[in-house]
Amino acid sequence: MQLVLTVNGMVHEIEARPTARLLDVLRDQVGLTGTKEGCAEGECGACTVIVDGQAVNSCVMLAVQARGKEILTVEGLAQDGELDLLQQKFVEYGAVQCGYCTPGMLMSAKALLMGNPVPSEQDIRIALAGNLCRCTGYSAIVAAVKAASGHEATPAMELPAEPAELAAEVTTDPDTLAAACEVVEAETGVTPGGPCAPSGLGDPFAASSPEGGE
Amino acid sequence: MTEVRSPSTRNELVAELAQATPRTRLLAGGTDLVRVLRQPGGEPDVLIDLSGLEELKAVRLDGETLHVGALTTFSQLQWDPLVREHALCLSLAAAQVGSTQIRNAGTLGGNVANASPCADGVTALTVLGADVTTVDGAGATRTRPIGEVVLGPSRTSLAYDEAVVGFAFPALGPEHRSAFSKIGSRTAVSVARLSCALVVRFDAAAGTLASVRVALGAVGEAAFRAAELERALEGRPADEETARLFAGGCVAAVQESIPGRYSLPYKQHAAVGLAYDAWNMLALSAPCEPAWA
Repeated sequence: MQLVLTVNGMVHEIEARPTARLLDVLRDQVGLTGTKEGCAEGECGACTVIVDGQAVNSCVMLAVQARGKEILTVEGLAQDGELDLLQQKFVEYGAVQCGYCTPGMLMSAKALLMGNPVPSEQDIRIALAGNLCRCTGYSAIVAAVKAASGHEATPAMELPAEPAELAAEVTTDPDTLAAACEVVEAETGVTPGGPCAPSGLGDPFAASSPEGGE
Repeated sequence: MTEVRSPSTRNELVAELAQATPRTRLLAGGTDLVRVLRQPGGEPDVLIDLSGLEELKAVRLDGETLHVGALTTFSQLQWDPLVREHALCLSLAAAQVGSTQIRNAGTLGGNVANASPCADGVTALTVLGADVTTVDGAGATRTRPIGEVVLGPSRTSLAYDEAVVGFAFPALGPEHRSAFSKIGSRTAVSVARLSCALVVRFDAAAGTLASVRVALGAVGEAAFRAAELERALEGRPADEETARLFAGGCVAAVQESIPGRYSLPYKQHAAVGLAYDAWNMLALSAPCEPAWA
């Protein structure tokens, strides 16, 4: 059937199966693959888009239900090549790990901020309750939304200012590693297997392997 | 292939219903039905998309009766000032349905027609004594109590050419208090394992419960009123002893509705906490706790 959908301000004329989900039409026909399919039953929120200002699961909505409405997807957040403030804060707060839930998280958060520019933390948690993340936990995400909403927010954990700082703590210098092995041996009586080289601390299974026993 | 029809007026809806077959499905919010459509053999011949029926999306107070359109969403019900004033338990139930996304799409009419045994809306409508109004393919309007529409899990008395158009029930006044509590496997986005809706008319002068209505859901075939318990509580003072009787009555009602069921040990225990939650929401006495708390 013929469908006219307004997505991110652009009108698309589409020939779609009558029972096609909004998710499928957005991804396969409009070509906007930022919206993700997770559970396909309205539980995980990866497919969240905004329809007429309200966050909905596009996996349990047919495309025909969105006719004549304003659809906003994650691709519609950035303007003129500049990330939306919410997206910038997700980056800044380390609120993205594998990234699969992120488009849905962003759209739920965006819908919240569109209706309530200064939400409480409780408001944020309720708005995001239908979005599951299996990597980061939710603290960094909530902190990012809070920061984007004009609240003063502190990061969920202290993040290194520069990646270089983190790298500096992980030494690859052979002499330092050898010294560390000596300390381990002196304190525990266990000799870390293999040469103390940048390649690592030897075979961790050596002690328990049949040939390497007592 | 499925044909989709999108009526935008009641007359157009009747015209579509007149063509309906047993394989025709009605689409409200879609949060339950879209999953069914994707199952093998789930494709209907005709799908009547109700989303264009603006007249079914309103809440209106007519004298002492509150009318709620079948297509009002849970988000709407959660915040609607008339619902909060005259049917708080329905607003509280709506607020606990699924996630924000589900509440934005899911409708009260869909909740009833889908007839999930754990439908929170049905428990609230049951305690409110709601009548369900439907229209069919012949254009006939019928009104019957919620208990005669929802018969059991996924079982209703709705004909294939019959659409729920709205609900009506006596508006609660300032002398009423109402509450809704539910328990599931987690605190949010949770499917009810047990739900409880409570309405009392409080006699402030005497400090007693002039009338009491209790409904339990997600236990047994369909949400039901605990009539015996209601009678036992009537006229009692709003005190801790009454709270204890209420909790005990809820446990008895649960035991009676699912004798021997594997979930009984859990649900009868849960009923105590749930009853105290609902009681405390009424704010008629100092907060009460079960003895084991």
